[in-house]
Amino acid sequence: MSDELIKAHLNLYAVLRNLEDIVEYDRETASLVMDWDVSVQFSVLNGPRAYIEFRGGVCTVGRGKYDNPSVRLLFLSPAHLNRMIDGRGNPIPIKGFTRLGFLKRDFTRVTERLEYYLKPTAELLKDEEYLALNTRLTLHTAAFAVREIGLLDPVGRLLASHIGNGSVNLKILPHGPGVCVNFKDGDIEPRKGEADRPMAVMWMKNVKAAHDFLSGKTDAFTAIASGDVMIRGQIPMLESLSLILDRIPHYLS
Amino acid sequence: MKTYHFENSQRMFKKAARVIPCGIYGHLSPVPLIPPTAYPFYAVRAKGSRFWDVDGNEFIDYVCAYGPVILGYNHEKVDAAAMKQYGEANCVTAPTPVMVELAEYLVDLIPIADWAFFAKNGGDVTSYALMAAREATGRKKIVMVCGGYHGVAPWAQAPGHPGVMDDDHRNCIRVRWNDYTEFERVVEENPGEIAGFIATPYHHPTFADSELPAEGYWQKIEALCRKEGIVLIVDDVRCGFRLDMRGSNEYFGFKPDLICFCKAIGNGYPISALVGTDSLKNVVSRVFYTGSYWFSAVPMAAAIATLKELKSIDGPKLIRETGRKLLDGLVDIARGYGYDLKVTGHPSMPYLRITNDESLMLHQDWCGECTKRGAYFSSHHNWFISTAHTDEDIQRSWAIAEDAFKAVKKRYG
Repeated sequence: MSDELIKAHLNLYAVLRNLEDIVEYDRETASLVMDWDVSVQFSVLNGPRAYIEFRGGVCTVGRGKYDNPSVRLLFLSPAHLNRMIDGRGNPIPIKGFTRLGFLKRDFTRVTERLEYYLKPTAELLKDEEYLALNTRLTLHTAAFAVREIGLLDPVGRLLASHIGNGSVNLKILPHGPGVCVNFKDGDIEPRKGEADRPMAVMWMKNVKAAHDFLSGKTDAFTAIASGDVMIRGQIPMLESLSLILDRIPHYLS
Repeated sequence: MKTYHFENSQRMFKKAARVIPCGIYGHLSPVPLIPPTAYPFYAVRAKGSRFWDVDGNEFIDYVCAYGPVILGYNHEKVDAAAMKQYGEANCVTAPTPVMVELAEYLVDLIPIADWAFFAKNGGDVTSYALMAAREATGRKKIVMVCGGYHGVAPWAQAPGHPGVMDDDHRNCIRVRWNDYTEFERVVEENPGEIAGFIATPYHHPTFADSELPAEGYWQKIEALCRKEGIVLIVDDVRCGFRLDMRGSNEYFGFKPDLICFCKAIGNGYPISALVGTDSLKNVVSRVFYTGSYWFSAVPMAAAIATLKELKSIDGPKLIRETGRKLLDGLVDIARGYGYDLKVTGHPSMPYLRITNDESLMLHQDWCGECTKRGAYFSSHHNWFISTAHTDEDIQRSWAIAEDAFKAVKKRYG
């Protein structure tokens, strides 16, 4: 499997999924999409498919095919999709020509908000709300990337093959957000929220500690020993998961 | 029962984290000690079966520096031998006679050994053993056991770990422990390409039960290695001199070509050894391998004193019996609280796990509660029993274990 294809999976299933949170937690984006009733299908030739639905002020991003979407966008290759995500290319619309204005104007404003929150600066991170949302997005991106790396990347596959069945919870204390990655018979299923009976947990003391840990500003060993990050349970699951996450920068800078 | 606090440990760790990567790196890192807040990070003094931390807390130590300390900390006879040698010569331009004396002692002690080579750490000699196997056979592939630990050289670390390249594993093939059929298949699929097979005498991974060799496993491995000209290497770094003074292979009834020793050989003084059969002596002579401190005489004198003392008191028997007594009592106490404390591996280096909770969280909490009361129990790694552990230590450990079970029972029900 090519790096471009894995990157396309990550972009569609881990990065774009953050639109759900941007709509839910960023007031500016919420007001933009409040009245939208539109669905966009992303289809990559010889690659992944995903859809984004805006309805009733809620955004839903899903895998696979959407029945009768308002807009259908075609990408001729995984690299084509990745260029578009990086802002260096355009999709080929094959349905919803009357919505081209929406795509260029309104949808772009939403993706610009996503980019704003995914590309922090030291100055932006001083703002508590920004820090909280950036950290939430980072946590969610990481959780959903585990599936793609663990199933597609050669090293990730090897690492995932040693992980036994069960769920791993990652949570920012005291009130979340939290994510859960479930490993079962070779499959990997991430989701928002927590499993009731996890095999391993990783709790981050607060948003700041979570940000420093997830962004690599503090090393995991120091963070855990100092109590900024607390781990319990089947630690080899967390270790393998961490090594899988270490593969992300190979695809997403 | 009073529980400990670790303010000074935490304070020192914060200082350390500013100037040392990870604060504490490697196998002494607090990361697998769960929760780290239940464990001391820094020791200031040690004697016999006990050590004291920077907060003044006293611990009966069942980890024994992760294996090196088999006679107890600051053993008088070992230290006296080391100090005597220190007064004469240690790191010098030429090696000292004590090196020859130690080599002769090992050759006399270990049936398969016709020669001995010295280094510092276990990983030094496991890597050297692989080089020797490749030089001896002219082959490149090494078969090892999945989950086996042979040090931190890139070939010995699992693929995917930072700093480890795919190429580091190009000639490493991993097979399941106790699965002779898989080893046989790998040999068949790589005709004339397998240089060596390296494994520990029994399987003792972290975070998982230890597994003794199945009936006939080692004998079949040995026979196939002989037939195919594969160098059989035993990594006896952890088990060595704990199961049997003659090498753990004698305990399990087989004869390897090379044995790697470290840990217990020097009771805490830094030394490792590779011993082997006469047929490989010229081979290792060709493989250039050395280190600045590998000829230091003090650890060699300490090793001779350690081995002589272990032999005179029948150390392996003593720690086996001490371990058995401690473990039987702990299992009984656990049962009284409705917990199944499973013990695997050899009684002198057992791995314990409460099976009521497969996530290990309950077990981690119990070990943490014990440590906070003065019995240093690890939840992720096998324990080590030393000859310094006394009946009084065992009685005290049982009392601590009971109080800790009460604490976790309140939490888990």
